[in-house]
Amino acid sequence: MTTLFAALDGNVADLGKAIAFGVGVGLGAVGAGIGIGNIFGSMIQAVARQPELRGELTGIQWLGFALTEAVVFYALLGGLLAYVLV
Amino acid sequence: MKFALIFAAAEDFQPQHEFELPAWVPIHLGPIDMSINKAVVYLWVGALVTILLGIWIMRFGLSLRPSRRQTTGESLYELIQGQIAEGNLPSKAINRWFPYVASLFLFIWILNLVGFVPLPISSEKFELFGVEFPTWGIYAATANLSVTLALALITFVATHVEGIRYNGVVRYFKSWIPAGVPKALLGPIVVLEVISQFMRLISLSVRLFANMLAGHMLILVMLGLIFIFSSYAIAVIAIPVATAVYIFEVAIVVTIQAFVFALLSAIYIGGAIEPEH
Repeated sequence: MTTLFAALDGNVADLGKAIAFGVGVGLGAVGAGIGIGNIFGSMIQAVARQPELRGELTGIQWLGFALTEAVVFYALLGGLLAYVLV
Repeated sequence: MKFALIFAAAEDFQPQHEFELPAWVPIHLGPIDMSINKAVVYLWVGALVTILLGIWIMRFGLSLRPSRRQTTGESLYELIQGQIAEGNLPSKAINRWFPYVASLFLFIWILNLVGFVPLPISSEKFELFGVEFPTWGIYAATANLSVTLALALITFVATHVEGIRYNGVVRYFKSWIPAGVPKALLGPIVVLEVISQFMRLISLSVRLFANMLAGHMLILVMLGLIFIFSSYAIAVIAIPVATAVYIFEVAIVVTIQAFVFALLSAIYIGGAIEPEH
């Protein structure tokens, strides 16, 4: 964060790093957002068709949610690593 | 963290200090650093609370007319037995591995929850009436890769030990290769399967670690904005957003991550004991 302000003083390399970090995590979030939307959409459809399966499906739903959500964090971690190391 | 912000506001407050781990009691065994730091203390707190929870639930006997304590215990048991253990662990191994999966779920859950309770465990101090107190802050032991990697390693080792014990070395490693693979593809498939086994270790630990880290960082960044712009006008937006993130984390993420960690452990161990061939 402080790097962002340092960048305003003309430190272009830090500015570039900050922008790359933001864009990288943002793009990661796009993919995971679509995936999570898919999971919950399918869950709603499944329960609407067969409400008696709800209990069984809930566990699978959360597993899928967590697996998909983790993708953002891989992006975040990769971004952080690149931000710190480069 | 909010308390820390209020009291430390006058000084040069550095929010990112939350993730620094200075050694409080340095212990060095040769090249191994076993120093006691904030994460270790939080692990102790988490372990203690988990043990007390277990004693509270189990040690006062069960009655026909369930009290609140008993219904809590029963719903926890039902969640772990019904959602995590059953169907993922084969019936011949469920007696051996249910306790592991259950304690894994409870321990991670408590660790995550403790991470969102402001506690006076910190090396930073603030002064009140001339007496120094440690600042109140939030910190999660699971927002530390070493902790989650250690937990994932236990599952990783258990998976292969159990796989070999139940199937024998040859049959177990053969079961890694999917049936009906053409001879020409055997080389690349073996490499891929071995890599995927190690990817499990990474994904299991990084998922929990990054989730907790990101949750804490979001709250931190929101509150940190007040100090970066050094204006209380930002607080009008920052504090509600930080509170919303906090509630989201405590209500949903904390439980789901513990659940998923235990569930995947059960799936991996169950899959090694009874491979699909």
